[in-house]
Amino acid sequence: MKIISCIKPVPDSASRLIINEAKTWIKDQDLTFVASEADNYALEEALRLKEKHSGDVVVLSMGGEEAARVLRSGLAMGADRAIHLLDPKFKGADEFAAAATLAKVIEKDGGADLVLTGVQSDDLGTGMTGTMLAEFLGWAHATVVVGVEANPDAKSLKVRRELEGGINESVELPMPAVLTVQFGINQPRYASLKGIMAAKRKEFKAVTAADLGLADDAVGKAGAMYEVREILIPARKSRVEMISGTPEEEAASLVEKLRKEAKVL
Amino acid sequence: MIFVITEHKDNKLKPITSELLVFAQRVGRDFGQPVTAVVLGSSTASLADELKTRKIDRVITAEHADLGEYNPDSYVEVLKSILEKEKPFLVLIGHTTQGMDFAPRLSVRLRRPLIAGCVEYEKQADRLILTRQVFNAKMNMKTSPRGEPPYFATASPGAFPGDEVETGGSAAVVAFPVQLSGGSRRKLLERVEAPKGKADLTSAPIIVSGGRGLKQKENFSLVFELAEAIGGSVGASRPVVDAEWLPREYQVGSSGQTVSPRLYIAVGISGAIQHLVGMQTSRCIVAINKDPEAPIFKVAHYGIVDDLFKVVPALTKIFKDLKQA
Repeated sequence: MKIISCIKPVPDSASRLIINEAKTWIKDQDLTFVASEADNYALEEALRLKEKHSGDVVVLSMGGEEAARVLRSGLAMGADRAIHLLDPKFKGADEFAAAATLAKVIEKDGGADLVLTGVQSDDLGTGMTGTMLAEFLGWAHATVVVGVEANPDAKSLKVRRELEGGINESVELPMPAVLTVQFGINQPRYASLKGIMAAKRKEFKAVTAADLGLADDAVGKAGAMYEVREILIPARKSRVEMISGTPEEEAASLVEKLRKEAKVL
Repeated sequence: MIFVITEHKDNKLKPITSELLVFAQRVGRDFGQPVTAVVLGSSTASLADELKTRKIDRVITAEHADLGEYNPDSYVEVLKSILEKEKPFLVLIGHTTQGMDFAPRLSVRLRRPLIAGCVEYEKQADRLILTRQVFNAKMNMKTSPRGEPPYFATASPGAFPGDEVETGGSAAVVAFPVQLSGGSRRKLLERVEAPKGKADLTSAPIIVSGGRGLKQKENFSLVFELAEAIGGSVGASRPVVDAEWLPREYQVGSSGQTVSPRLYIAVGISGAIQHLVGMQTSRCIVAINKDPEAPIFKVAHYGIVDDLFKVVPALTKIFKDLKQA
């Protein structure tokens, strides 16, 4: 099986995020980037499927040095080769432009049996890109996946999806397919020292918009379907009553209010 | 025209449908546009009867045996033909497991914009600005769709008040002739309820829930101790369950349990929208978190911005003392 694992670099969760002057995104200099958390689960699932059925895992990411970093760490975890969508023209892509570019590079790479992405990213967090990618490729897809059984000979997949309210459903779909993988499907491995050393000898290919035959207005900000007007920290419209003091005073004051004001104790 | 793609289950409209109708009625008023509700299914009569009493212009039903159970291929194909004929301005879909399973495909097939996870909108000089949450609800992003309509938007569950839907209408019900070119690639095998286990929180009067702010599994004992002292049950946020600190059955939120206790104490939970929709109707909500910007404070009644490792033991001590007194 050939499995492609898409990884989005996002600021480390401990980062202090500051909005840029144009108020269109965050200041991304001086931040540490890591793989978006759900994409880690997707990569782990790809590696487990490869270990079970043999084949290749290709890691794919878009961006500058931050993307190279998450790709290297994917290779160290056990992926076989990396494709880096590296071009200033890719910058500012929305989900639509990103999915269109990913579809193109996957076709150019000879397709795949399976593409795995995280269910949503830690930055935009809308969970659109994987499903859009399936549509661009014309493949079947399943979202919010919590279990995968592949049958490569029959070119079919049995997938468990998580629905609302604690309901799961099992579905069958043909390969090739795109799956968006839910948090918690597995426990992602850490790269071993041996893995990190081996990663240095693995194929690492950079690809530009021109390599893919994509026009300038089809990629990045120019290819986006919407404009970002403003990013802001929302004004708090809240009813909250803040309690302050030393921890002991706070605790005492809270208990008092819960008993006398809210009358819930 | 503003279209609402309704969501239903077991012949009943799901709560998100009312929320989408409120969103549509408000945008409709601001932009002078009529509202149409669209129902796909194998038997839509009773759903249409219910929908037509809402203050909207029209209900479009699309009936076909293959639409009895949701599947993305059929939904996208049918909706594409309806939208190409009707040419609405805005198409509203739930930001739900089902909505987000087909909306991205539909938007790509029509090559039109999709703004997902909307929580608000505004009208700026005749332009529609849609606001969504980004960076785990820490920031809002205002966006405007480019090019010609239709524009697609999915609405976050809980963002619009479903109980404010205007009723008293008598909308016309129109049947759309459905033609499906082929079967669905995705076949439904079975649907099962995940086991609830011993942590059924839906009827608990007091819940103490812990989140990632507890830093490691061992520290969850703080939550258990407080819950015991206060006589409550223990809950958890999704990251805690994903990290396997606690089993899935403890999870509160859109993919876990929806709870509405008398008292909900959130310890070290930042409050992603998926968590908030599962507990925001609790009668009294207390949030303890060191980050004053944490979204949990937006739904809390009482907030303490401090180190939970100091506040929680202090609380536990007070309740233990009260018990002994």
